[in-house]
Amino acid sequence: MQQSMIINGKKHEIDVDGDMPLLWFLRDRLEFTGTKFGCGSGLCGACTVHVNGQAIRSCVTPVSSLVDQKITTIEGLSENGDHPLQQAWLNNNVPQCGYCQAGQIMNAASFLAINAAPTEQEIDTAMQGNICRCGTYQRIKKAITEAADTLSKEA
Amino acid sequence: MNISNVSRRNFLKGASIATGGLVISVALPANALAEKGILPKSSTTLNAFIHLEENGDTVIYCGRCEMGQGISTALPSAVADEMEADWQRVSVKQGDADEKFGPQATGGSASIRVMYQPMREAGATAKAMLIAAAAKVWKTSPENCFAQSHFVINKSNQQRLGYGELASIAANMPVPEKPILKKKNDFNYIGKKLPRHDQGEVVVGKRIYGVDTKLPGLKYAAIVHCPVLGGSLKSLDKTDAMKVKGVSGVVEIPRFDIPFGSIGGVAVVADNSWTAQQAVKKLKVEWNLGENAVYNTKEYKQQLVTNVEKPSTLTSERGDLDNAFKTAKNKVSATYTGGHLSHAPMEPNASVVWVQKDSCEVWASTQSPVDIQKVLGQYLKRDPKDIVVHVAMAGGAFGRKFKCDYVHEAAVISAKTGLPIQLIWSREEDMRTGYYHSINAQHIEASMDEEGNVTGWLHRAAFPSIGSLFNPALERASKDSLAEVTNHLFGVENFRAESGDAKAHTRIGWYRAVYAIFYGFAFGTFADELAQKSGKDTLSFINQLFDNNKNEAQQAQVQRAKDVLAIVANKSGWHKRSNLPKGQGIGLAVHYSFQSYVAMAVHVEVNGDDIKVLNVDCAIDCGQVLNLDGATAQMEGAVVMGMSLALSTEITFKDGAVVNSNFHDYPVMRITDMPNVNVHITDSDENPTGLGEPGVAPFAPALSNAVFAAAGKRYRDLPFKPLAV
Repeated sequence: MQQSMIINGKKHEIDVDGDMPLLWFLRDRLEFTGTKFGCGSGLCGACTVHVNGQAIRSCVTPVSSLVDQKITTIEGLSENGDHPLQQAWLNNNVPQCGYCQAGQIMNAASFLAINAAPTEQEIDTAMQGNICRCGTYQRIKKAITEAADTLSKEA
Repeated sequence: MNISNVSRRNFLKGASIATGGLVISVALPANALAEKGILPKSSTTLNAFIHLEENGDTVIYCGRCEMGQGISTALPSAVADEMEADWQRVSVKQGDADEKFGPQATGGSASIRVMYQPMREAGATAKAMLIAAAAKVWKTSPENCFAQSHFVINKSNQQRLGYGELASIAANMPVPEKPILKKKNDFNYIGKKLPRHDQGEVVVGKRIYGVDTKLPGLKYAAIVHCPVLGGSLKSLDKTDAMKVKGVSGVVEIPRFDIPFGSIGGVAVVADNSWTAQQAVKKLKVEWNLGENAVYNTKEYKQQLVTNVEKPSTLTSERGDLDNAFKTAKNKVSATYTGGHLSHAPMEPNASVVWVQKDSCEVWASTQSPVDIQKVLGQYLKRDPKDIVVHVAMAGGAFGRKFKCDYVHEAAVISAKTGLPIQLIWSREEDMRTGYYHSINAQHIEASMDEEGNVTGWLHRAAFPSIGSLFNPALERASKDSLAEVTNHLFGVENFRAESGDAKAHTRIGWYRAVYAIFYGFAFGTFADELAQKSGKDTLSFINQLFDNNKNEAQQAQVQRAKDVLAIVANKSGWHKRSNLPKGQGIGLAVHYSFQSYVAMAVHVEVNGDDIKVLNVDCAIDCGQVLNLDGATAQMEGAVVMGMSLALSTEITFKDGAVVNSNFHDYPVMRITDMPNVNVHITDSDENPTGLGEPGVAPFAPALSNAVFAAAGKRYRDLPFKPLAV
């Protein structure tokens, strides 16, 4: 029987080589291009997606390890693009080139889910694997803090 | 059917094209003159298109390339402002390569400087035609009408007509020869904090970058390059690569010996990028490395130091430097150095090219579509105008994507296979096949009189210049490449500039801030060293250097430089720095580049070898600002890039090849090192000037000065803390 995984709530058959990293399955096979290629070695975080809510680097995660797992990409983070982080990103005009931002947001979403009231240092530690070459870090920090506030009010 | 239309309208995912009738297309007055035959068409092709649909929806095209600097919001917002358009009704589209958009090569922080006025005129022209159309409908005079937020209003009776209703009539109105521009007080968008037009797409992953282009039947390629400039393929065994399932071919790409052509490599074509990347690793390739295999940057930097610490080639002089040195009370000298840098944008080089018998179509993240047309035209022996280039959003560029070697390579593969090809470089290839910021050395000697006034200044610089890309035989940087030294705003009566020998062994290219990186570092750091030697406060010492400038033509510039410096001194607590805890210090620097004035005050804490940047105050005078928030973001980003190059990033060559490979050994700054950055933008009515690049220059010298203030240790080599690779 063909193996599959759930991506953004929808079942997708794994019809590629099992060694293929999730990133390329998403981008080249399914044409979900919101998840970005940055380094291919898990060093920059541009390719970050969630597996069962946990942030992982899709460029180094083979699809064979994801059978029946639940994957969330930036396209599926929220129904209407209104996750508190997405809203906070807009409020703070975070993106410059924007290429790394899907990875930043996905990494932050997974982190906030386990630490709803982070300190600045905890944000730094959680986000240090995500590079932004345009240098939007100050705004990323502010947006995460803001989103955490929103989430704590919702809770 | 024309293939470019087919693929643009039906196939290209993510691209949207305006539907419905495009009923008004407004050109610039200059172009109108050209069309009337008053001006030859070649004299100006400046041309900004505004499309108004019947329902009032408005499309404004951006002809300059977007790479994150925000130009595709800034310029269209200037059009919308003058047009009295409602920004909510405006969508922005990126223009394809087309001379009707004016100059599209995007570099040198020139977009706003060059296009601000033409884009405003385009908007004002549209407004005048819409008003004329309404006046015609109401049988009144245009003077009796005014435009506001997508409507024309009749002053006598307050009747209103929407832009959509007026569009088809307006299209037939005469184009005003000289449209009247708004006054600063009346701006709706210019100078305000307008959000980026495409942010909503970015945060949901829908923004389409060059790397995201998809076409039916698309094949994917990966490449390995010749590691040394000037080398060539010696042998290739593709057996193992061809055995990989999904691989359809291997293509040799010989070096195309023009400045923006491929350095030479071997590519694999496959069903997807992953397979292509895996197969490339299975190629057995040997290279003839050629004469640049002697290049070792560690030794070369030393060679440059030797070259600037002895007399070299004079490029300019004034006064009598020898006499100034002879009669000096004090003499100070220092040598500053810096390494190669790789741009390393987050999106590696990528493009899609489809070469067919009668057409060639390109989708690329690029800073210069016209260069793609030239290079592919030259390679394919076709008219550059026949190369269709769709300009995609670039995931960062910083100068790298001005050079289209990666697009040329995709064209070679497509031409040889007949397939639409997406070539994506690996990060390793991106790091190792660059157009690098120059390795450099500078030696400065200065004389001072009894009062600590600088009386003489000898400035030698040695670096393989960008000129070497166009003339590889170049022995040293030209007089023009030292213009920033010659025209520096410090006033020194007796002065000499010399260019030291520095032949290039790799491709040198523009990197965000270009030569201002090392000139800013040397001038800014040396000024602080002189101040220490004279026992004066650095702020007043720099101001004295400016005041000594007696060149009438530079007085306004000197004042603007002093003003931004004063801002950061005040904001940073410079005047109260004696209260700082032990181990902390503030450093100042100011630099003029790309016609803008930027000062920084960097506040650090130093603990042994550990340098922690706590706070950065940054002030810029770039004339009239278009987008206050965008300008602030550019400065924040400039601090981060300045910090990477000041502290950690350096490209190392061994035996002609780059040693670095990825972000583990090219450690760009991460969030953990982010200081608090405060940006102060002057409220200026001067013409707008550079913004993307000038912010990078003052960071490194301000940091060097801050570390000295905090710990008494002087850093003169960039980066301060290189990683051993």
